[in-house]
Formats: sequence, structure tokens, C-alpha cells
Amino acid sequence: MTESISTRRGPRRQRSRPGTSGEVLATIDRRRRLVAWLQLFPGSAYFALLFLVPLAGLLAMSFFRLVDFDPVPAFVLSNYVEVLTTSIHVRLGLRTIQVAGILTVIVLLVSFPCAYVLNFVFRAKRQLLYFLILVSLFGGYIVRIYAWRSILGRQGVINQTLIGMGIIEEPIRYILNSMLAVGASLVNFLIPLGVLPIYAAMQNVSPHVIEAARDLGASRFRAARQIVLPLSMRGVRAATAFVFIATLGEWVTPRLLGGTNDLLIGNRIEFYFGQSLEWPQGAALAMTLMVAMGVFAYIIISLMKRLAR
Amino acid sequence: MTAPDWRRTVVRLRRRPVGSAAFMVLVFVFLFAPLVVMVAFSFNSSPRLSFPFAGVSIRWYQEIFTDTLVLRAFRRSVQAAVVTAGITGLLGLPAALGILKVAARWRTIFLTTALGPLAIPGLLYAIGLAVFYRQIGVERSIWSANLGHALIALPFVFLIIGASLERFRFGLLEAAQDLGATRWYAFRTITLPLILPAVIGAMLLAAAISVDDFVIAFFTAGQDKTLPLVMYGRVLKGIDPTLNAIGTVMLILTTTLAFMAASRTTIGER
Repeated sequence: MTESISTRRGPRRQRSRPGTSGEVLATIDRRRRLVAWLQLFPGSAYFALLFLVPLAGLLAMSFFRLVDFDPVPAFVLSNYVEVLTTSIHVRLGLRTIQVAGILTVIVLLVSFPCAYVLNFVFRAKRQLLYFLILVSLFGGYIVRIYAWRSILGRQGVINQTLIGMGIIEEPIRYILNSMLAVGASLVNFLIPLGVLPIYAAMQNVSPHVIEAARDLGASRFRAARQIVLPLSMRGVRAATAFVFIATLGEWVTPRLLGGTNDLLIGNRIEFYFGQSLEWPQGAALAMTLMVAMGVFAYIIISLMKRLAR
Repeated sequence: MTAPDWRRTVVRLRRRPVGSAAFMVLVFVFLFAPLVVMVAFSFNSSPRLSFPFAGVSIRWYQEIFTDTLVLRAFRRSVQAAVVTAGITGLLGLPAALGILKVAARWRTIFLTTALGPLAIPGLLYAIGLAVFYRQIGVERSIWSANLGHALIALPFVFLIIGASLERFRFGLLEAAQDLGATRWYAFRTITLPLILPAVIGAMLLAAAISVDDFVIAFFTAGQDKTLPLVMYGRVLKGIDPTLNAIGTVMLILTTTLAFMAASRTTIGER
């Protein structure tokens, strides 16, 4: 009993009460733990019911059979066979991974200097700048995609303005519905997701360390590369994971800004659930994606660990 | 250190960071330019999306605020925000209090599991939820979408309140109890007032997440279209000048909520 008292954290920690016997303390301890579990119960139950159960349901659905467009409980592997042997899935899957990789590199190349400048160069104004980035993360997912469309589209700002100025006669068609438009919008959306974790990790790096390195003759770049980067690697890893996860599940941006050749694997999942209504196949594709995501996360994280050494 | 070295350091410290400033300006222009353009064109009197401006008007706002479809969606989005904030507050606050009192090994398990929704793409969670509702036979509506919003916002609320409790001085409670206060009285008069800004901030963030969400509502709201769903539908039909006004209203709603949330909690205190 004394052991459990010493490991828990809370108001009565490290406090001995003269005159109270061990038995009373044990009763208090038991009551406190009961209260703690009662407090944790509603949230945990909600989490289990609306997160764990639906994901388990998705897994179950991936083994169901489709009879007259109605999923019927069964245990068949044919959905996985169908999903994995459809050539478009292989192609879209590979493209999605490629896009996610390129986006991750771009976002990291912008986010790391951004977090660095925020934390070390403009220390006085960092609160405001951080605020702006934070607000842009939680404000306007669909709004942003639309805004890009209104700028790049055939009837969009760039084309209309150029026509109005008499520079071009016909709208340029290939600005929108291209990988470039998808990439621009995604990078725009992902930068805050990259900056925040890196910035948070950089809080542990004292500016004096950089000053010391500079005094010893290190260039600004070398100080950032050899001191700040290794010390904030935790944030870089989190940023990589966030960007990768967001891209793998992305389907709205390619749908609204990309052409038919710019679709990602997320669009296929949306197709199965939104249009074709072949839910078991869609669930099988989703589970495959989830497993692939886990494998990739493992590979990337261990690669980065090796690089950081 | 010799004298010239020392002087060089001072000169270096005084130099203005022109390169860094230029870089930050570029990043912020890139981040906000699309939104600024959209807000600007929402006040353009011509439906054409072209510079220079034809004139300033609020006709697009008049149009959306007399459009029952948009108004209904607006009301649903506000409802989603309130319900999500309510559910996450009611579940998140007790959980954040409870986790402090359980053994370290349980604490780790709870904290890791709570990060689950952040580790899988929103699309996969949304279809999982759609499958769940279908399997238990729940009709899809704004309420079923709200439950999903609350679930993805819950980890944020739980972690933000938890972070504020980490700085809470529990000695205050002991002092109160030693002076004869009951547990509940001490909680009500000491704990709650001190952590209330963080609780409200976290709930506001949950509201922002709910208003901003597209993918969960798309798969689980059925015919109850929220503002993002209305925007999506209209974008698919083609460019429509009212979209600038709808987008601006949404942007004001989400950024105000996020801004108020950030200014009340430690997430904005870095």
C-alpha cells in the first residue's frame, strides 16, 4: 500500500499526517482512486464507443460480402484480393506515397527555417507570429481550397486579370486542374502543421547555445544544422508524421483542384463510400492504407533516427 | 577575448536580420494571400473575379443572408460548435482531473490511446464512423456528425486542460481542506476558477474544429449540410460569387474561435 501511495501524484503526496493510522490512509487512498476512475470513465467510454468500435467495425466490414449492394456479414478475403489486384490502386497508391514524400520534404524545408526564425531571430514578436500560424491551422480547410480555386481557375483571378489587362486573350487552362494547384494548396495547408511541432520542440534549445557556437566561429547555417536540428529532432519527426498522415487521407484537394490525372488513393476510398457504395471493398482499401501507413511511419522514423545520429 | 573580437560580436548582434524578415514575409504572404483575395472579392460589386475592383458592395452578403439554404447551414454549423464544445468540456475536464490520480502506468496508457485520432487520417475515421452508424442503424444527421466532431476534438481538450493542471498548485487544495473545506467546495472555489480559462479555451478550440470540419460531416451528416458542405457543393457546380461571402463568414467564425482559444490556453503561450 505504501508503494502505491508513493507512486501516485496529487495533493497528498509526500505528506505524513501525524496521528492517522495506516489503515485510514489506505481507505482515503482507495477512495481517491475510485473517484479518479469514475472521472475517467465517461470520456473513456465515449472514446471506446465512438473511436475504437467504429475502427473495429471498419475492419469487420472489410471481410463482408456485398449482396445486392448491401454488405452482409461474412468472412471473405475477396475484397482484399480485388483491392490489391486493381491496377489503378497500385498506381494511385504509389503516386500518393510519392506526393506525400515530396510534400514532406517541401514542408520541412519551409517549416524548419520558419520555426527557427520565429524562435531565435524574432523572439520579441514570436508570440504574435506563432498565434497567426496557429489560427491559420484551425481556420478554413475547405475555405482555403476554394480560395485557391478562385485564384487559379479558368474564371479565376489570375486569368481574369490577365485578360482584363489585355495580356492574354483566352484563359490559361492548365493552371487549375494540375498537380501544381494541388501541391500549392496542400503545402499552404500543411505548413502550420509542420511549424507547430518543430517550434514546440525548439523551446528546449537555449539561444545562448547558438550564441556560443557562433562565438566559436560556426556559421549561422552550421549552428542550425549541427545544434538546433538534432536538439529539435522530436518536433521534426512529429511534423513528418503529421504531413504524411494528412496527405495519405487527402481527397478533397485533388477533387477540387486537380485534374483526372492528379487523383490520390483517398479519392478511391471516397469513390467506394460516396459513389459506388461498395463499402466492403472501400473498407478493405482503407485497412490496407492503414497498414501501409504504419509500415511507412516505422521506416521513416527509423531512417530519421539514423540520420540524426 | 581580444578587443576586435568583442567588437565583431556586437556588430553581428546589431545587424538587422533582413534575410529572415524577407523569408517570413514570403511565408506569411503565401499562407494568407488566398484568404485575403477571397475576403477582398467578397466585397466586389461585380461577379467577375478580376482586378481592378469594379466597386465595393455588400450585395453578396445580402444574397447569402436571405438564402434559406445558407442560413440553415449556418445554424447547423453554430449548433455543431456548441454541441461539440459542450460534450468535450463535460468529458474532458473530469478525465483530465482523474488522470492525475491514477498510477503512472495507467496514465501512459490513457495518454497514448488519446492520441489515436491524431494518428489516423480524418478520412479513415470518417468512413469508420459511417460504417458504425450503418451497422447500428442510426439515421445520419447533424447530431451523428456532432458526435464525431466531439471525438476528434476530445484529445485536444483533454491535453490542453491537462497541461493547465500540470501548473496547478495542489497545495492550495490541501490548505483549504485543512481549514475545513469539503472536497467539492475546494474544487468549486479554488480549482475551477483557476483552470477555467484553459477549460473555456479548450472548448472554444473544439468549437473551431467542429466548424472547420469537412470530412466527418461529409460522410456522417447525411442531408444536414453544414457550411463547409454547402461550399463544397457550390464549388463543384462552378465558381459562384456568393462563395466568397460564405467563405469569409466561415473564416471569421473559425479564426475568431481559434484566436480566442489560443489566447486563453497554454497553446498560445509558447
